[in-house]
Amino acid sequence: METLVRVIDLNYHLGGQPVLQGINLELKRSQIVGLLGPNGSGKTTCLRLLSGLLTPSSGHIEIAGIDLGRYPLAAQRHLGYLPDRPPLYPELRVDEYLAHCARLRRIPRRAIPQAIVAAKGRCGLSDHGRRLISQLSKGYRQRLGLAQAIIHRPPVLLLDEPTEGLDPIQIRALRALIRELAQESSIILSSHLLPEVQAICDRVLILYQGQVRLDVDLSAAPPHHAWFIHLGNQITVMELSALAPVISVLALGPNRFQVDLAPGAHSGDLARAILAAGLDLLELTPARSDLERTFFDLVGVEEHR
Amino acid sequence: MILAIAGREIRSALVTPPWWVLLTAQQIVLAWIFLQVIETFSQRGDEQRLASLTQELCLNLFGFAAVPIMFAAPILAMRMLSAEFRDGTYDLLASAPISPGTILFGKFIALQLLIAPLFLLPLANITLLMDSAQLDWGQIAAATVGLGCAALFFGAVALYASSRTDQPGAAVLTALGILLLFSVIGRAEALTTQELSLFGWLAWNEHLFWFLLGTVRLSDVVYFGVFALFFLTLAHRSLVNRRFG
Repeated sequence: METLVRVIDLNYHLGGQPVLQGINLELKRSQIVGLLGPNGSGKTTCLRLLSGLLTPSSGHIEIAGIDLGRYPLAAQRHLGYLPDRPPLYPELRVDEYLAHCARLRRIPRRAIPQAIVAAKGRCGLSDHGRRLISQLSKGYRQRLGLAQAIIHRPPVLLLDEPTEGLDPIQIRALRALIRELAQESSIILSSHLLPEVQAICDRVLILYQGQVRLDVDLSAAPPHHAWFIHLGNQITVMELSALAPVISVLALGPNRFQVDLAPGAHSGDLARAILAAGLDLLELTPARSDLERTFFDLVGVEEHR
Repeated sequence: MILAIAGREIRSALVTPPWWVLLTAQQIVLAWIFLQVIETFSQRGDEQRLASLTQELCLNLFGFAAVPIMFAAPILAMRMLSAEFRDGTYDLLASAPISPGTILFGKFIALQLLIAPLFLLPLANITLLMDSAQLDWGQIAAATVGLGCAALFFGAVALYASSRTDQPGAAVLTALGILLLFSVIGRAEALTTQELSLFGWLAWNEHLFWFLLGTVRLSDVVYFGVFALFFLTLAHRSLVNRRFG
């Protein structure tokens, strides 16, 4: 598969202090890579380096095969960037703003109206072209920020915490939009929310204190084999272990267990076995994956040291 | 690309109050000075008139017009870079395939186009006398060119100050500080020997004075051009350095 972004041994120092160290990253076509980490871990700096807003202290960044350090303008033509604060001019109308962005992105004059209609259509802004940006809600501002990033149909999109500050309904809509955009563009997005990254991304890099601590391909990750269950009846660990798909059981509290399933078995098999045994199943949730364990170990444990 | 950047700046300036306030204030003050000059001149007899009407208008009207422009340039320029840094909108320009030089030039063009009505106002006022008085239009043209040259210099200093900080208020104060220094530095000559004319040469008002007298000297044009270029180069450096954090 074609590699659109290649980052080799990226380092960035600010005032003598290392902000990012030894970052290596590859983004394939139509892939969504998530940069996950707590606040201050270097996610935004990493995206600003990739967008050409900052120059790395050392290392190499290639966008669509073009060296960003040597040919920044040529490389930036292939990028769309949504910063953590959408770069909007409140005194302009939506259409005026998008026309300005289209000109900045060197879209030919004749193609600009079409590009504006397409970007608005994809971001759900079709009915808002005449509205002043200052009158848009936060959700629509975020959509407009996304529209400016995709107006020139870039092969690479960089999104810095795109769902930050949105309500749950807006978050869901924006996640769906990002997944849709991935059909045309490869995306690197940053977030400090694990569920968000798990919901959207194909691959996750956990950043902590400026370093990549874990690089996981979610699409290739094995399915969950560990589940938490909460039953409505008294049952012993031995009795639960006797159920067909179960290979081991760990008691966590009254009627609460962590259950490991046999290879090939899934949560449906477990639920059927529990019901067949005449038990009431009150709760069935996946246990933490490696990704979650690593993330919470880093964010939770190390920060409390 | 330069036109796209300049066009957006002008559009934003025209739909928000500061530019209109500056233009209105400039016209009110100039109209008052204009009437004062006309009234004083018309009340004098021929023997009391030391200078022609054109001379009076150029020295008073054009001479004063430079001062509000000196204050207006930093106020208009603070929105162009400093406020963009603060609001994060500069990221839109910096992440687009545009060089810092193009960005700066676009902003400078916009600033000059916004200042242009301010330095053309004295000329607009004087045209009211076109049918009623004999004026030396050559001298008036020279004075207008002089104000335009001064506006180039003010704009370059203002953009440089704006490129240095993401606090617009600090950008305005920095620009005014530099411009006031260049205004009063000529006074330092009085403290030293008359032969030492470097301080006098550095003061922008000394150069504008010759334009107001109707004399367009190459050395004065070069002064404004060189300093405008100097501060634009510093501003460009400042934008390039932003990429290093």
